[in-house]
Amino acid sequence: MKTISNLKKRVSGMCLGALALIACIAVTSCDPTIDALSYDLAEANSKEDLKPPVASFKATVTADYLTYTFANTSSSATDYVWNYGDGKTATSLDGENTFPAEGTYTVTLTATDKLGKTNTYSSEVIVIEPEVPPALNPGVINGNFDDGTSNWKPNSFSGGTTNAFNASSDGDPNNYDGTPSGASKTPGAKWTSSTSAGPLLSSSTRYAYQEMKLSENTNYILEYSYAIKTDVADIAGGDRVIVEILDGWFNDGADAVVSTPLVQTIGNEANGKGNFKVVKQVFSTNATGEISIWIYAITNDELYVDNVKVYPAI
Amino acid sequence: MKYLKYIAIILIGNVFVSCSDFLEPVPGSSITTDNYYTTAEELETGLIGVYAAIKGINSNDKDENHGVQWEFYVTEMRSDNTSTKSPDSEDASDAGQLESLNVLPTNNFVNNYYTSFFQVISRANVILANLDVVEDSAKAKAIEGEAKFLRAYAYFNLVRLFGDLPLIDRIIAPSETEIQFTRVGTNSIYELIVADLETAVSGLNNTYTTRASKPAAQALLAKVYLTMATPGSYLKAQLLCEEIINSTKYSLKSNFHDVFYTERNSEIIFAIGYNSGVQDNSQIFSAEWMNAVGNTSGVNYVTTNAVAAIDTYGGSRISDSYRPDPLTLFGGTIRYQVTKYFPDGASGGSDGQTFTGLPQLAGNDWIVLRYADVLLMRAEAILAGAIETSNGNAIDSYMQVRVRAGFNAVTDRPSKLTKEALLIERRVEFAFENQRMFDLIRFGAAQSVLSVFADANGFNFASTDLLLPIPQNEINLSRSSSTLMTQNPGYN
Repeated sequence: MKTISNLKKRVSGMCLGALALIACIAVTSCDPTIDALSYDLAEANSKEDLKPPVASFKATVTADYLTYTFANTSSSATDYVWNYGDGKTATSLDGENTFPAEGTYTVTLTATDKLGKTNTYSSEVIVIEPEVPPALNPGVINGNFDDGTSNWKPNSFSGGTTNAFNASSDGDPNNYDGTPSGASKTPGAKWTSSTSAGPLLSSSTRYAYQEMKLSENTNYILEYSYAIKTDVADIAGGDRVIVEILDGWFNDGADAVVSTPLVQTIGNEANGKGNFKVVKQVFSTNATGEISIWIYAITNDELYVDNVKVYPAI
Repeated sequence: MKYLKYIAIILIGNVFVSCSDFLEPVPGSSITTDNYYTTAEELETGLIGVYAAIKGINSNDKDENHGVQWEFYVTEMRSDNTSTKSPDSEDASDAGQLESLNVLPTNNFVNNYYTSFFQVISRANVILANLDVVEDSAKAKAIEGEAKFLRAYAYFNLVRLFGDLPLIDRIIAPSETEIQFTRVGTNSIYELIVADLETAVSGLNNTYTTRASKPAAQALLAKVYLTMATPGSYLKAQLLCEEIINSTKYSLKSNFHDVFYTERNSEIIFAIGYNSGVQDNSQIFSAEWMNAVGNTSGVNYVTTNAVAAIDTYGGSRISDSYRPDPLTLFGGTIRYQVTKYFPDGASGGSDGQTFTGLPQLAGNDWIVLRYADVLLMRAEAILAGAIETSNGNAIDSYMQVRVRAGFNAVTDRPSKLTKEALLIERRVEFAFENQRMFDLIRFGAAQSVLSVFADANGFNFASTDLLLPIPQNEINLSRSSSTLMTQNPGYN
């Protein structure tokens, strides 16, 4: 019995000693004021930030010219602050901002990682309303036919003639600008059975041709006036003038004949000699803006064309 | 001993004659790329092998290249058009990562596409290196054009998906690690693409639909120019489109259905050809898009967002774009399936799962370029990055596609074609044809559209999601070399 109680005493004594030691260690280790620990740096054993953040972004304009989206391309960062330069800020990953008006704004992105390292990147955004460039308006040369067939002849014509039409004095009584000339007629262009296409097609069929350089992919209006003396319905399809805008320039009239025009208009109202009717037709230019005017007639009578204009559609 | 000098002469003589090729013959029992190509015909068999790399292997083995068969995963499923059958932002599977725009560099579909299309590039390079065996110069030009078309097609897809890439324009040895892992800027990649396609345009003719042709090269080049969006590139794109239009070789099918279910029809400019019922020559994507018919329970299902867009703007294209999954009509949430690529045209009966043949061995061709695309590209080129245009030619081309879809040529004709309307038209016309993601990026609308879509579905969109990660596999391979491959932003 005595040995048991001795054993108990020894065991409890040891336990007590161990407890006191643990308490001692716990107290000293948790007290930063203890001199023995004062030489350890707070940063000791922590790793350097080897991958600091690098801020960068890319701006893209949206359908609305005032609104931009900003694609965040930063690396090694977790938090972002956008400063759009117009007083607005954001903390989202990617940015989107509608600027108040046209102008140059410096957009700044500050990227921060969780160790507090930061990096900023700035880029200027130039907000400007996209301008539609004014369409070229070279005008038709000799569109009123005052100078006869000059500037209207095809460059060459395989198997045909480069005579454009018959110069005539029986043109539109109106001036080129649409005002009345006061006289009953001005110079014009004339086709007859000997210069007609269609059933009367021959090597002397005449075509008026003029090259123009217009703005590409732009809407223009083709305008002209015509008069047919009588339509006796003795030519298939009736007497008519065909005015086309050709897709490109053609050195040889024969190539122009077989090409597919951008637009074709037909004037077939026979109102009598001197009674001119105005035709207007909208067309879009091609990718190069190089087009040509192409006029010919199908008639066994007298047919007149005058005041040919091409101008931008507004 | 008296014969010694004769023996010596014979032995010395042997030294000279023994240096013949007798010991180094080309083994007749094996074919290698070094010895195989000796004639134009043999080179053409190699050329067909390039197409085989695009077609991919019809299997469910993740280690095999599936080429264009798995393209929908990395394009359409990342867009607002499709998802898995039951979209879930918590789905961390490879397919789930793509639908929720939370892609990891270890994603297998990403790796598969990357390796597949670099295989296309590598095989095309082999053809180009062996062109000297072709004696007929016109034939050599055609083969060169075809190989370069295929290399450009592969690079164009890759550069749009991954950004900067290794530029591999010749056969490289495994030891050439620097060229394998150095990513060059997209500008240099586009330079190669444009140069290759220009060669293809001049060398090819109009013979094929499921192989490269001149109009296919022109149409692809037009799309490249639209994507580059540099000054002057819109004009080049327009001229290319108009050359195809003016050739009058192609026309729109009057019935939208026939575009997909009459192979090599008048609208198809370039398609990847498959044959039904042949394991080596068939495709499985048609089955994958059904309900548990392929190897998955159903992927590339149509999002409600796309259903709404098609209902509003699709006109007569609705039934040939999507349908409610018949199995989901009995209860629960209705899901929507793509109807453009039913396996061999069979819709799967009343439950959408019952097929007579093997739907997993479908023969539907994969359409890469079709005439409607050329028409809408022309409108896009005329628009030239502007917000709207009143140009008649642009509106004409746009309306041609819309009129086929049942819209009225007069009453539905807008006075101005806006960029937004064109993007919507492209979405409903080319839905599930793997164009949507590229269109969104090209139109500069990806960030605004996808962030709204992601918010509505509980996904997490960041602008860096517009590029896929470089496969981790490639980066790991580069670690053993002196050139460490870089990762795209947002994937570190």
